[in-house]
Amino acid sequence: MQWRSATRITSAVDVAKFLLTLGLLAWLVGRGSEQLGYQWHWRRIPAYLLTVTDGHWHAGPLLDGLLVTLEITAISLVLAAVIGLVTALLRLSGSLVGRILAIFYLETIRNTPLLVQIFFLYFVMAPILDISRFTTAVLALAFFEGAYASEIFRSGIVAIDRGQWEAAHSLGLSRLATYRHVILPQAVRRVLPPLTSQAISLVKDSALVSTIAVYDLTMQGRVIVAETFLVFEVWFTLAAIYLLLALALSLLVRLVERRLGSHGQTAWNMP
Amino acid sequence: MEHAMNEEEPESDIIIARNLHKTFPGPVAALVDFSVTVRRGEVLVIVGPSGSGKSTFLRCLNGLEEVESGSIIVDGIPLDDNQRHRLEIRREVGMVFQSFNLFPHLDVLENVSLAQRLVRGKSRAEARGCSLELLARVGLADKAASYPAELSGGQQQRVAIARALAMMPRVMLFDEATSALDPEMIGEVLDVMRQLAEEGMTMVVVTHEMGFAREVSDRVLFMEHGRVIEEGTPGEFFNHPRRQRTREFLRQIL
Ligand SMILES: Nc1ncnc2c1ncn2[C@@H]1O[C@H](COP(=O)(O)OP(=O)(O)O)[C@@H](O)[C@H]1O
Ligand SMILES: [Mg+2]
Repeated sequence: MQWRSATRITSAVDVAKFLLTLGLLAWLVGRGSEQLGYQWHWRRIPAYLLTVTDGHWHAGPLLDGLLVTLEITAISLVLAAVIGLVTALLRLSGSLVGRILAIFYLETIRNTPLLVQIFFLYFVMAPILDISRFTTAVLALAFFEGAYASEIFRSGIVAIDRGQWEAAHSLGLSRLATYRHVILPQAVRRVLPPLTSQAISLVKDSALVSTIAVYDLTMQGRVIVAETFLVFEVWFTLAAIYLLLALALSLLVRLVERRLGSHGQTAWNMP
Repeated sequence: MEHAMNEEEPESDIIIARNLHKTFPGPVAALVDFSVTVRRGEVLVIVGPSGSGKSTFLRCLNGLEEVESGSIIVDGIPLDDNQRHRLEIRREVGMVFQSFNLFPHLDVLENVSLAQRLVRGKSRAEARGCSLELLARVGLADKAASYPAELSGGQQQRVAIARALAMMPRVMLFDEATSALDPEMIGEVLDVMRQLAEEGMTMVVVTHEMGFAREVSDRVLFMEHGRVIEEGTPGEFFNHPRRQRTREFLRQIL
Protein backbone atom coordinates (compact mmCIF):
# COMPACT_ATOMS: atom_id res chain seq x y z
CA MET A 1 0.00 0.00 0.00
CA GLN A 2 3.13 2.11 0.07
CA TRP A 3 2.68 2.25 -3.66
CA ARG A 4 -0.86 3.61 -3.39
CA SER A 5 0.02 6.57 -1.22
CA ALA A 6 2.95 7.27 -3.52
CA THR A 7 0.64 7.58 -6.51
CA ARG A 8 -1.70 9.75 -4.52
CA ILE A 9 1.12 12.15 -3.73
CA THR A 10 2.24 12.17 -7.36
CA SER A 11 -1.24 12.99 -8.56
CA ALA A 12 -1.56 15.75 -5.95
CA VAL A 13 1.68 17.24 -7.26
CA ASP A 14 0.39 16.89 -10.80
CA VAL A 15 -2.81 18.73 -9.95
CA ALA A 16 -0.81 21.48 -8.27
CA LYS A 17 1.40 21.86 -11.33
CA PHE A 18 -1.64 21.92 -13.57
CA LEU A 19 -3.34 24.64 -11.53
CA LEU A 20 -0.14 26.67 -11.49
CA THR A 21 0.16 26.45 -15.26
CA LEU A 22 -3.48 27.39 -15.64
CA GLY A 23 -3.01 30.41 -13.36
CA LEU A 24 0.04 31.53 -15.33
CA LEU A 25 -1.88 31.16 -18.58
CA ALA A 26 -4.84 33.17 -17.25
CA TRP A 27 -2.48 35.90 -16.13
CA LEU A 28 -0.75 36.01 -19.52
CA VAL A 29 -4.04 36.14 -21.36
CA GLY A 30 -5.27 38.85 -19.00
CA ARG A 31 -2.21 40.96 -19.68
CA GLY A 32 -2.32 40.29 -23.40
CA SER A 33 -5.94 41.23 -23.72
CA GLU A 34 -5.39 44.35 -21.64
CA GLN A 35 -2.65 45.49 -23.94
CA LEU A 36 -4.83 44.78 -26.95
CA GLY A 37 -7.66 46.61 -25.29
CA TYR A 38 -9.73 43.46 -25.72
CA GLN A 39 -13.37 43.63 -24.64
CA TRP A 40 -14.53 40.36 -23.08
CA HIS A 41 -18.05 39.23 -23.92
CA TRP A 42 -18.32 35.90 -22.13
CA ARG A 43 -22.06 36.35 -21.74
CA ARG A 44 -22.63 35.89 -25.43
CA ILE A 45 -21.03 32.44 -25.46
CA PRO A 46 -23.79 30.26 -23.89
CA ALA A 47 -26.16 31.18 -26.70
CA TYR A 48 -23.83 29.49 -29.17
CA LEU A 49 -24.12 26.33 -27.17
CA LEU A 50 -27.78 26.25 -26.27
CA THR A 51 -30.77 28.58 -26.50
CA VAL A 52 -34.18 28.31 -24.94
CA THR A 53 -37.16 29.82 -26.72
CA ASP A 54 -40.73 29.20 -25.56
CA GLY A 55 -39.57 26.42 -23.28
CA HIS A 56 -37.87 24.58 -26.20
CA TRP A 57 -34.20 23.80 -26.24
CA HIS A 58 -32.27 24.64 -29.38
CA ALA A 59 -28.78 23.40 -29.92
CA GLY A 60 -26.47 26.26 -30.82
CA PRO A 61 -23.83 25.92 -33.55
CA LEU A 62 -21.15 24.86 -31.07
CA LEU A 63 -23.30 22.02 -29.78
CA ASP A 64 -24.12 21.03 -33.36
CA GLY A 65 -20.40 21.02 -34.08
CA LEU A 66 -19.71 18.98 -30.98
CA LEU A 67 -22.18 16.35 -32.16
CA VAL A 68 -20.47 16.19 -35.56
CA THR A 69 -17.07 15.89 -33.85
CA LEU A 70 -18.41 13.12 -31.63
CA GLU A 71 -19.87 11.32 -34.61
CA ILE A 72 -16.68 11.60 -36.64
CA THR A 73 -14.41 10.52 -33.80
CA ALA A 74 -16.65 7.64 -32.73
CA ILE A 75 -16.85 6.17 -36.23
CA SER A 76 -13.18 6.70 -37.02
CA LEU A 77 -12.18 5.30 -33.63
CA VAL A 78 -13.91 2.02 -34.38
CA LEU A 79 -12.53 1.99 -37.93
CA ALA A 80 -9.02 2.87 -36.73
CA ALA A 81 -9.13 0.01 -34.25
CA VAL A 82 -10.17 -2.43 -36.97
CA ILE A 83 -7.58 -1.10 -39.44
CA GLY A 84 -4.92 -1.12 -36.74
CA LEU A 85 -5.65 -4.68 -35.71
CA VAL A 86 -5.78 -5.99 -39.27
CA THR A 87 -2.54 -4.20 -40.15
CA ALA A 88 -0.80 -5.57 -37.07
CA LEU A 89 -1.92 -9.11 -37.91
CA LEU A 90 -0.80 -8.67 -41.52
CA ARG A 91 2.59 -7.45 -40.40
CA LEU A 92 3.00 -10.46 -38.15
CA SER A 93 1.60 -12.90 -40.69
CA GLY A 94 3.59 -15.42 -42.68
CA SER A 95 2.47 -13.81 -45.91
CA LEU A 96 5.17 -11.74 -47.60
CA VAL A 97 2.62 -9.76 -49.61
CA GLY A 98 0.67 -9.03 -46.44
CA ARG A 99 3.76 -7.79 -44.64
CA ILE A 100 4.85 -5.58 -47.53
CA LEU A 101 1.37 -4.10 -47.82
CA ALA A 102 1.25 -3.36 -44.11
CA ILE A 103 4.68 -1.76 -44.06
CA PHE A 104 3.89 0.36 -47.14
CA TYR A 105 0.72 1.64 -45.50
CA LEU A 106 2.44 2.32 -42.17
CA GLU A 107 5.39 4.18 -43.66
CA THR A 108 3.25 6.28 -45.98
CA ILE A 109 0.89 7.36 -43.25
CA ARG A 110 3.47 7.94 -40.57
CA ASN A 111 5.77 9.98 -42.76
CA THR A 112 3.26 12.44 -44.17
CA PRO A 113 1.28 15.12 -42.30
CA LEU A 114 -2.34 14.40 -41.52
CA LEU A 115 -3.34 17.65 -43.18
CA VAL A 116 -1.77 16.53 -46.45
CA GLN A 117 -3.57 13.19 -46.16
CA ILE A 118 -6.88 14.93 -45.60
CA PHE A 119 -6.32 17.16 -48.64
CA PHE A 120 -5.19 14.21 -50.72
CA LEU A 121 -8.30 12.25 -49.85
CA TYR A 122 -10.53 15.28 -50.31
CA PHE A 123 -9.16 16.68 -53.56
CA VAL A 124 -7.92 13.50 -55.25
CA MET A 125 -9.78 10.48 -53.93
CA ALA A 126 -13.16 11.91 -52.96
CA PRO A 127 -14.09 13.01 -56.51
CA ILE A 128 -12.98 9.65 -57.91
CA LEU A 129 -14.80 7.58 -55.30
CA ASP A 130 -17.66 10.06 -55.06
CA ILE A 131 -17.68 10.23 -51.27
CA SER A 132 -18.99 13.01 -49.04
CA ARG A 133 -16.86 15.37 -46.98
CA PHE A 134 -17.97 13.63 -43.83
CA THR A 135 -16.91 10.22 -45.14
CA THR A 136 -13.63 11.69 -46.36
CA ALA A 137 -12.98 13.09 -42.92
CA VAL A 138 -13.77 9.79 -41.21
CA LEU A 139 -11.59 7.79 -43.60
CA ALA A 140 -8.64 10.18 -43.31
CA LEU A 141 -8.73 10.07 -39.51
CA ALA A 142 -9.26 6.31 -39.38
CA PHE A 143 -6.35 5.53 -41.69
CA PHE A 144 -4.10 8.02 -39.92
CA GLU A 145 -4.77 6.83 -36.37
CA GLY A 146 -5.05 3.21 -37.54
CA ALA A 147 -1.37 3.26 -38.49
CA TYR A 148 -0.38 4.25 -34.98
CA ALA A 149 -2.89 1.88 -33.40
CA SER A 150 -1.43 -0.97 -35.43
CA GLU A 151 2.04 -0.40 -34.01
CA ILE A 152 0.53 -0.36 -30.54
CA PHE A 153 -1.34 -3.62 -31.16
CA ARG A 154 1.78 -5.18 -32.63
CA SER A 155 3.89 -4.28 -29.63
CA GLY A 156 1.24 -5.84 -27.38
CA ILE A 157 1.06 -9.02 -29.44
CA VAL A 158 4.80 -9.64 -29.64
CA ALA A 159 5.09 -9.06 -25.89
CA ILE A 160 2.99 -12.15 -25.19
CA ASP A 161 5.09 -15.09 -24.05
CA ARG A 162 5.89 -17.66 -26.75
CA GLY A 163 4.67 -20.36 -24.40
CA GLN A 164 1.11 -19.14 -24.93
CA TRP A 165 1.40 -19.85 -28.65
CA GLU A 166 2.99 -23.19 -27.99
CA ALA A 167 0.33 -24.26 -25.52
CA ALA A 168 -2.41 -23.29 -27.98
CA HIS A 169 -0.58 -25.09 -30.79
CA SER A 170 -0.26 -28.27 -28.78
CA LEU A 171 -4.00 -28.15 -28.02
CA GLY A 172 -4.76 -28.02 -31.73
CA LEU A 173 -6.05 -24.44 -31.83
CA SER A 174 -5.88 -22.73 -35.22
CA ARG A 175 -3.89 -19.55 -35.64
CA LEU A 176 -7.06 -17.50 -35.78
CA ALA A 177 -8.53 -19.14 -32.67
CA THR A 178 -5.24 -18.62 -30.85
CA TYR A 179 -5.28 -14.92 -31.67
CA ARG A 180 -8.90 -14.53 -30.78
CA HIS A 181 -9.06 -16.48 -27.54
CA VAL A 182 -5.50 -16.50 -26.20
CA ILE A 183 -3.26 -13.77 -27.58
CA LEU A 184 -5.47 -10.75 -28.24
CA PRO A 185 -7.37 -10.73 -24.94
CA GLN A 186 -4.00 -10.49 -23.18
CA ALA A 187 -2.37 -8.15 -25.67
CA VAL A 188 -5.24 -5.67 -25.82
CA ARG A 189 -5.41 -5.42 -22.06
CA ARG A 190 -1.71 -4.65 -21.97
CA VAL A 191 -1.88 -1.87 -24.56
CA LEU A 192 -5.02 -0.19 -23.27
CA PRO A 193 -3.09 2.80 -21.86
CA PRO A 194 -1.22 3.67 -25.10
CA LEU A 195 -4.39 2.97 -27.10
CA THR A 196 -6.21 5.48 -24.94
CA SER A 197 -3.58 8.13 -25.65
CA GLN A 198 -4.00 7.38 -29.33
CA ALA A 199 -7.78 7.74 -29.08
CA ILE A 200 -7.32 11.11 -27.39
CA SER A 201 -5.00 12.14 -30.22
CA LEU A 202 -7.76 11.21 -32.60
CA VAL A 203 -10.22 13.50 -30.82
CA LYS A 204 -7.76 16.36 -31.07
CA ASP A 205 -6.68 15.62 -34.64
CA SER A 206 -10.31 15.58 -35.71
CA ALA A 207 -10.17 19.38 -35.52
CA LEU A 208 -8.23 19.30 -38.80
CA VAL A 209 -11.28 18.12 -40.71
CA SER A 210 -12.58 21.68 -40.46
CA THR A 211 -10.11 22.44 -43.25
CA ILE A 212 -12.33 20.61 -45.71
CA ALA A 213 -15.41 22.41 -44.44
CA VAL A 214 -16.84 19.66 -42.33
CA TYR A 215 -18.93 21.45 -39.75
CA ASP A 216 -17.35 19.99 -36.68
CA LEU A 217 -16.72 21.79 -33.42
CA THR A 218 -13.66 23.64 -34.72
CA MET A 219 -15.34 24.68 -37.96
CA GLN A 220 -18.33 26.09 -36.08
CA GLY A 221 -15.94 27.94 -33.83
CA ARG A 222 -14.15 29.45 -36.83
CA VAL A 223 -17.47 30.58 -38.30
CA ILE A 224 -18.54 32.26 -35.07
CA VAL A 225 -15.17 33.97 -34.70
CA ALA A 226 -15.37 35.26 -38.25
CA GLU A 227 -18.84 36.67 -37.64
CA THR A 228 -18.43 38.07 -34.15
CA PHE A 229 -14.72 38.57 -33.42
CA LEU A 230 -15.21 36.85 -30.06
CA VAL A 231 -11.76 35.33 -30.66
CA PHE A 232 -10.64 34.59 -27.12
CA GLU A 233 -13.98 33.49 -25.75
CA VAL A 234 -14.73 31.07 -28.56
CA TRP A 235 -11.30 29.46 -28.72
CA PHE A 236 -11.17 29.08 -24.95
CA THR A 237 -14.57 27.46 -25.02
CA LEU A 238 -13.45 25.07 -27.75
CA ALA A 239 -10.29 24.19 -25.86
CA ALA A 240 -12.35 23.45 -22.76
CA ILE A 241 -14.74 21.22 -24.70
CA TYR A 242 -11.89 19.23 -26.27
CA LEU A 243 -10.31 18.90 -22.84
CA LEU A 244 -13.56 17.56 -21.43
CA LEU A 245 -13.86 15.09 -24.29
CA ALA A 246 -10.35 13.78 -23.69
CA LEU A 247 -10.97 13.48 -19.96
CA ALA A 248 -14.26 11.67 -20.52
CA LEU A 249 -12.52 9.24 -22.85
CA SER A 250 -9.75 8.35 -20.42
CA LEU A 251 -12.30 8.01 -17.65
CA LEU A 252 -14.28 5.60 -19.80
CA VAL A 253 -11.20 3.51 -20.53
CA ARG A 254 -10.32 3.48 -16.85
CA LEU A 255 -13.77 2.07 -16.11
CA VAL A 256 -13.36 -0.59 -18.80
CA GLU A 257 -9.93 -1.44 -17.43
CA ARG A 258 -11.32 -1.86 -13.96
CA ARG A 259 -14.05 -4.15 -15.26
CA LEU A 260 -11.54 -6.26 -17.17
CA GLY A 261 -9.32 -6.43 -14.12
CA SER A 262 -12.07 -7.50 -11.76
CA HIS A 263 -11.76 -11.22 -12.44
CA GLY A 264 -9.62 -11.95 -9.44
CA GLN A 265 -6.46 -12.41 -11.47
CA THR A 266 -3.97 -9.87 -10.32
CA ALA A 267 -0.40 -10.95 -10.84
CA TRP A 268 -0.50 -11.41 -14.58
CA ASN A 269 -1.66 -7.98 -15.61
CA MET A 270 1.05 -6.27 -13.63
CA PRO A 271 3.73 -5.00 -16.01
CA MET B 1 3.19 -50.95 -18.14
CA GLU B 2 1.76 -52.67 -21.15
CA HIS B 3 -1.84 -52.04 -21.86
CA ALA B 4 -4.63 -54.33 -22.96
CA MET B 5 -5.15 -52.12 -26.01
CA ASN B 6 -2.09 -53.72 -27.59
CA GLU B 7 -4.06 -56.79 -28.64
CA GLU B 8 -6.88 -54.83 -30.21
CA GLU B 9 -4.82 -52.32 -32.15
CA PRO B 10 -3.17 -53.53 -35.30
CA GLU B 11 -0.35 -51.06 -35.00
CA SER B 12 1.59 -51.41 -31.79
CA ASP B 13 4.10 -48.64 -32.49
CA ILE B 14 2.39 -45.32 -31.90
CA ILE B 15 5.42 -43.11 -32.50
CA ILE B 16 7.96 -43.97 -35.17
CA ALA B 17 10.71 -41.40 -35.55
CA ARG B 18 13.44 -42.26 -38.02
CA ASN B 19 16.77 -40.59 -38.76
CA LEU B 20 15.78 -37.16 -37.52
CA HIS B 21 18.17 -34.29 -38.17
CA LYS B 22 17.71 -30.85 -36.75
CA THR B 23 20.23 -28.02 -36.77
CA PHE B 24 19.73 -24.62 -35.19
CA PRO B 25 21.53 -21.51 -36.42
CA GLY B 26 24.93 -21.43 -34.86
CA PRO B 27 25.11 -24.08 -36.10
CA VAL B 28 23.98 -26.33 -33.28
CA ALA B 29 23.19 -29.92 -34.12
CA ALA B 30 20.20 -30.54 -31.85
CA LEU B 31 19.23 -33.91 -33.35
CA VAL B 32 21.66 -36.09 -35.26
CA ASP B 33 20.30 -39.17 -37.00
CA PHE B 34 17.95 -39.64 -34.08
CA SER B 35 15.63 -42.63 -34.25
CA VAL B 36 13.22 -43.91 -31.65
CA THR B 37 10.03 -45.95 -31.56
CA VAL B 38 7.40 -45.80 -28.84
CA ARG B 39 4.89 -48.59 -28.35
CA ARG B 40 1.26 -47.98 -27.51
CA GLY B 41 0.86 -47.63 -23.75
CA GLU B 42 4.58 -47.38 -23.20
CA VAL B 43 6.18 -44.86 -20.86
CA LEU B 44 9.48 -43.72 -22.32
CA VAL B 45 11.70 -41.54 -20.17
CA ILE B 46 14.37 -39.47 -21.91
CA VAL B 47 17.31 -38.27 -19.86
CA GLY B 48 20.45 -36.40 -20.81
CA PRO B 49 22.46 -33.32 -20.01
CA SER B 50 21.11 -29.86 -20.72
CA GLY B 51 21.30 -28.97 -24.40
CA SER B 52 21.36 -32.58 -25.57
CA GLY B 53 18.24 -32.16 -27.72
CA LYS B 54 15.54 -33.64 -25.47
CA SER B 55 13.14 -30.72 -25.83
CA THR B 56 13.86 -30.44 -29.52
CA PHE B 57 12.81 -34.06 -30.01
CA LEU B 58 9.54 -33.59 -28.13
CA ARG B 59 8.82 -30.38 -30.00
CA CYS B 60 9.42 -32.07 -33.34
CA LEU B 61 6.89 -34.75 -32.41
CA ASN B 62 4.01 -32.26 -32.30
CA GLY B 63 5.21 -29.93 -35.02
CA LEU B 64 6.47 -27.13 -32.79
CA GLU B 65 9.81 -27.53 -34.57
CA GLU B 66 10.49 -28.67 -38.09
CA VAL B 67 12.95 -31.47 -38.71
CA GLU B 68 15.32 -31.02 -41.63
CA SER B 69 15.26 -34.65 -42.61
CA GLY B 70 13.92 -37.91 -41.30
CA SER B 71 10.36 -39.06 -40.83
CA ILE B 72 7.88 -38.99 -37.97
CA ILE B 73 4.73 -41.08 -37.87
CA VAL B 74 2.30 -40.64 -34.98
CA ASP B 75 -0.49 -43.17 -34.65
CA GLY B 76 -0.24 -43.99 -38.31
CA ILE B 77 -0.33 -40.34 -39.43
CA PRO B 78 2.81 -39.08 -41.14
CA LEU B 79 3.97 -35.64 -40.00
CA ASP B 80 4.54 -34.21 -43.47
CA ASP B 81 3.61 -31.10 -45.42
CA ASN B 82 -0.05 -32.04 -45.41
CA GLN B 83 -1.75 -29.54 -43.11
CA ARG B 84 -4.54 -31.98 -42.27
CA HIS B 85 -1.99 -34.46 -40.98
CA ARG B 86 -0.23 -31.81 -38.96
CA LEU B 87 -3.47 -30.65 -37.37
CA GLU B 88 -4.53 -34.21 -36.64
CA ILE B 89 -1.23 -34.88 -34.90
CA ARG B 90 -1.45 -31.68 -32.89
CA ARG B 91 -4.84 -32.82 -31.62
CA GLU B 92 -3.74 -36.33 -30.79
CA VAL B 93 -0.52 -35.38 -29.02
CA GLY B 94 -0.80 -33.56 -25.69
CA MET B 95 2.08 -31.59 -24.27
CA VAL B 96 2.98 -30.39 -20.80
CA PHE B 97 5.62 -27.68 -20.54
CA GLN B 98 8.16 -26.82 -17.91
CA SER B 99 6.65 -23.35 -17.57
CA PHE B 100 2.99 -24.57 -17.44
CA ASN B 101 1.86 -21.99 -20.04
CA LEU B 102 -1.66 -21.74 -18.67
CA PHE B 103 -3.80 -19.00 -20.17
CA PRO B 104 -3.60 -16.31 -17.47
CA HIS B 105 -6.72 -14.42 -18.55
CA LEU B 106 -8.96 -17.48 -18.26
CA ASP B 107 -10.05 -19.24 -15.10
CA VAL B 108 -9.10 -22.86 -14.51
CA LEU B 109 -12.35 -24.22 -15.91
CA GLU B 110 -11.98 -22.16 -19.10
CA ASN B 111 -8.35 -23.18 -19.43
CA VAL B 112 -9.40 -26.80 -19.51
CA SER B 113 -12.55 -26.22 -21.58
CA LEU B 114 -11.33 -23.87 -24.29
CA ALA B 115 -9.83 -26.38 -26.70
CA GLN B 116 -12.63 -28.87 -26.14
CA ARG B 117 -15.07 -26.29 -27.41
CA LEU B 118 -12.93 -24.78 -30.16
CA VAL B 119 -11.23 -27.91 -31.47
CA ARG B 120 -13.50 -30.78 -30.48
CA GLY B 121 -16.67 -28.78 -31.03
CA LYS B 122 -18.19 -29.60 -27.66
CA SER B 123 -20.92 -27.43 -26.21
CA ARG B 124 -20.14 -25.27 -23.21
CA ALA B 125 -22.07 -27.61 -20.92
CA GLU B 126 -20.43 -30.75 -22.29
CA ALA B 127 -16.97 -29.24 -21.99
CA ARG B 128 -17.72 -28.07 -18.49
CA GLY B 129 -18.75 -31.53 -17.33
CA CYS B 130 -15.66 -33.07 -18.86
CA SER B 131 -13.39 -30.41 -17.40
CA LEU B 132 -14.77 -30.79 -13.89
CA GLU B 133 -14.23 -34.54 -14.11
CA LEU B 134 -10.62 -34.05 -15.21
CA LEU B 135 -10.00 -31.45 -12.52
CA ALA B 136 -11.26 -33.93 -9.96
CA ARG B 137 -8.84 -36.50 -11.35
CA VAL B 138 -5.88 -34.18 -10.79
CA GLY B 139 -7.26 -33.22 -7.37
CA LEU B 140 -8.32 -29.68 -8.19
CA ALA B 141 -12.10 -29.86 -8.35
CA ASP B 142 -12.36 -26.96 -5.92
CA LYS B 143 -10.18 -24.66 -8.05
CA ALA B 144 -12.36 -24.48 -11.15
CA ALA B 145 -13.16 -20.81 -10.63
CA SER B 146 -9.63 -19.73 -9.70
CA TYR B 147 -7.26 -17.97 -12.03
CA PRO B 148 -3.80 -19.41 -12.72
CA ALA B 149 -2.06 -16.61 -10.83
CA GLU B 150 -3.92 -17.67 -7.69
CA LEU B 151 -2.55 -21.22 -7.79
CA SER B 152 0.73 -22.70 -6.63
CA GLY B 153 3.15 -24.01 -9.23
CA GLY B 154 2.18 -27.60 -8.54
CA GLN B 155 -1.50 -26.78 -8.92
CA GLN B 156 -0.86 -24.89 -12.15
CA GLN B 157 1.01 -27.83 -13.61
CA ARG B 158 -1.80 -30.18 -12.66
CA VAL B 159 -4.26 -27.87 -14.42
CA ALA B 160 -1.97 -27.92 -17.45
CA ILE B 161 -2.06 -31.72 -17.41
CA ALA B 162 -5.87 -31.70 -17.16
CA ARG B 163 -6.00 -29.20 -20.04
CA ALA B 164 -3.91 -31.47 -22.25
CA LEU B 165 -5.93 -34.55 -21.24
CA ALA B 166 -9.15 -32.78 -22.13
CA MET B 167 -8.27 -33.25 -25.79
CA MET B 168 -8.29 -37.03 -25.24
CA PRO B 169 -4.77 -37.31 -26.62
CA ARG B 170 -3.32 -40.67 -27.57
CA VAL B 171 0.18 -39.59 -26.56
CA MET B 172 1.31 -37.24 -23.83
CA LEU B 173 4.65 -35.43 -23.92
CA PHE B 174 6.15 -34.05 -20.71
CA ASP B 175 9.05 -31.63 -21.06
CA GLU B 176 10.63 -31.30 -17.63
CA ALA B 177 7.19 -30.89 -16.13
CA THR B 178 8.55 -30.64 -12.59
CA SER B 179 11.75 -28.66 -13.18
CA ALA B 180 10.20 -25.27 -12.43
CA LEU B 181 8.53 -26.44 -9.23
CA ASP B 182 9.50 -25.96 -5.62
CA PRO B 183 10.67 -29.31 -4.20
CA GLU B 184 7.59 -29.78 -2.04
CA MET B 185 5.31 -29.61 -5.10
CA ILE B 186 7.15 -32.05 -7.31
CA GLY B 187 5.50 -35.05 -5.68
CA GLU B 188 1.92 -34.00 -6.41
CA VAL B 189 2.68 -33.60 -10.12
CA LEU B 190 4.63 -36.86 -10.35
CA ASP B 191 1.70 -38.61 -8.66
CA VAL B 192 -0.65 -37.43 -11.38
CA MET B 193 1.80 -38.57 -14.03
CA ARG B 194 2.19 -41.95 -12.37
CA GLN B 195 -1.57 -42.39 -12.20
CA LEU B 196 -1.79 -41.54 -15.89
CA ALA B 197 0.85 -44.13 -16.71
CA GLU B 198 -1.07 -46.73 -14.74
CA GLU B 199 -4.18 -45.96 -16.74
CA GLY B 200 -2.24 -46.93 -19.85
CA MET B 201 -1.45 -43.57 -21.41
CA THR B 202 1.43 -43.54 -23.86
CA MET B 203 3.93 -41.06 -22.43
CA VAL B 204 7.24 -39.61 -23.50
CA VAL B 205 8.74 -37.96 -20.45
CA VAL B 206 11.81 -35.75 -20.31
CA THR B 207 12.78 -35.48 -16.66
CA HIS B 208 15.58 -35.32 -14.15
CA GLU B 209 13.52 -37.27 -11.62
CA MET B 210 15.39 -40.57 -11.63
CA GLY B 211 13.06 -42.04 -9.02
CA PHE B 212 10.16 -41.56 -11.42
CA ALA B 213 12.18 -43.03 -14.30
CA ARG B 214 13.09 -46.07 -12.24
CA GLU B 215 9.60 -46.78 -10.91
CA VAL B 216 7.23 -45.70 -13.63
CA SER B 217 8.99 -46.00 -16.98
CA ASP B 218 9.10 -49.01 -19.27
CA ARG B 219 12.22 -47.79 -20.99
CA VAL B 220 14.87 -45.15 -20.38
CA LEU B 221 16.72 -43.42 -23.19
CA PHE B 222 19.90 -41.46 -22.60
CA MET B 223 20.79 -38.88 -25.22
CA GLU B 224 23.65 -36.47 -25.72
CA HIS B 225 24.59 -34.08 -28.55
CA GLY B 226 21.40 -35.03 -30.35
CA ARG B 227 22.15 -38.75 -30.46
CA VAL B 228 20.90 -41.79 -28.59
CA ILE B 229 23.76 -42.96 -26.40
CA GLU B 230 22.00 -45.83 -24.65
CA GLU B 231 18.53 -47.16 -24.00
CA GLY B 232 17.11 -49.97 -21.97
CA THR B 233 14.65 -50.99 -19.28
CA PRO B 234 15.05 -49.01 -16.07
CA GLY B 235 16.61 -52.09 -14.45
CA GLU B 236 19.27 -52.43 -17.12
CA PHE B 237 19.81 -48.72 -17.47
CA PHE B 238 20.28 -47.83 -13.83
CA ASN B 239 21.90 -51.04 -12.59
CA HIS B 240 24.01 -52.13 -15.54
CA PRO B 241 24.68 -49.20 -17.85
CA ARG B 242 26.74 -50.42 -20.80
CA ARG B 243 28.37 -47.19 -21.91
CA GLN B 244 31.05 -45.30 -20.07
CA ARG B 245 29.29 -41.99 -20.82
CA THR B 246 26.06 -43.25 -19.27
CA ARG B 247 27.86 -44.27 -16.11
CA GLU B 248 29.42 -40.81 -15.84
CA PHE B 249 26.06 -39.15 -16.34
CA LEU B 250 24.37 -41.32 -13.74
CA ARG B 251 27.17 -40.70 -11.28
CA GLN B 252 26.69 -36.97 -11.72
CA ILE B 253 22.97 -36.83 -11.16
CA LEU B 254 22.31 -39.67 -8.73
N1 LIG C 1 15.12 -22.06 -30.94
C1 LIG C 1 16.42 -22.36 -30.87
N2 LIG C 1 17.34 -21.59 -31.49
C2 LIG C 1 18.64 -21.88 -31.46
N3 LIG C 1 19.15 -22.93 -30.81
C3 LIG C 1 18.31 -23.75 -30.14
C4 LIG C 1 16.90 -23.50 -30.15
N4 LIG C 1 16.31 -24.46 -29.43
C5 LIG C 1 17.29 -25.27 -29.00
N5 LIG C 1 18.50 -24.84 -29.43
C6 LIG C 1 19.78 -25.50 -29.18
O1 LIG C 1 19.66 -26.86 -29.53
C7 LIG C 1 20.32 -27.67 -28.59
C8 LIG C 1 19.33 -28.64 -27.99
O2 LIG C 1 18.40 -27.92 -27.22
P1 LIG C 1 17.24 -28.60 -26.38
O3 LIG C 1 16.53 -29.55 -27.26
O4 LIG C 1 16.46 -27.52 -25.77
O5 LIG C 1 18.05 -29.40 -25.28
P2 LIG C 1 17.53 -30.03 -23.91
O6 LIG C 1 16.05 -29.95 -23.87
O7 LIG C 1 18.04 -31.41 -23.92
O8 LIG C 1 18.17 -29.24 -22.82
C9 LIG C 1 20.92 -26.75 -27.56
O9 LIG C 1 22.28 -26.57 -27.88
C10 LIG C 1 20.16 -25.46 -27.72
O10 LIG C 1 20.97 -24.38 -27.41
MG1 LIG D 1 14.82 -28.89 -22.52
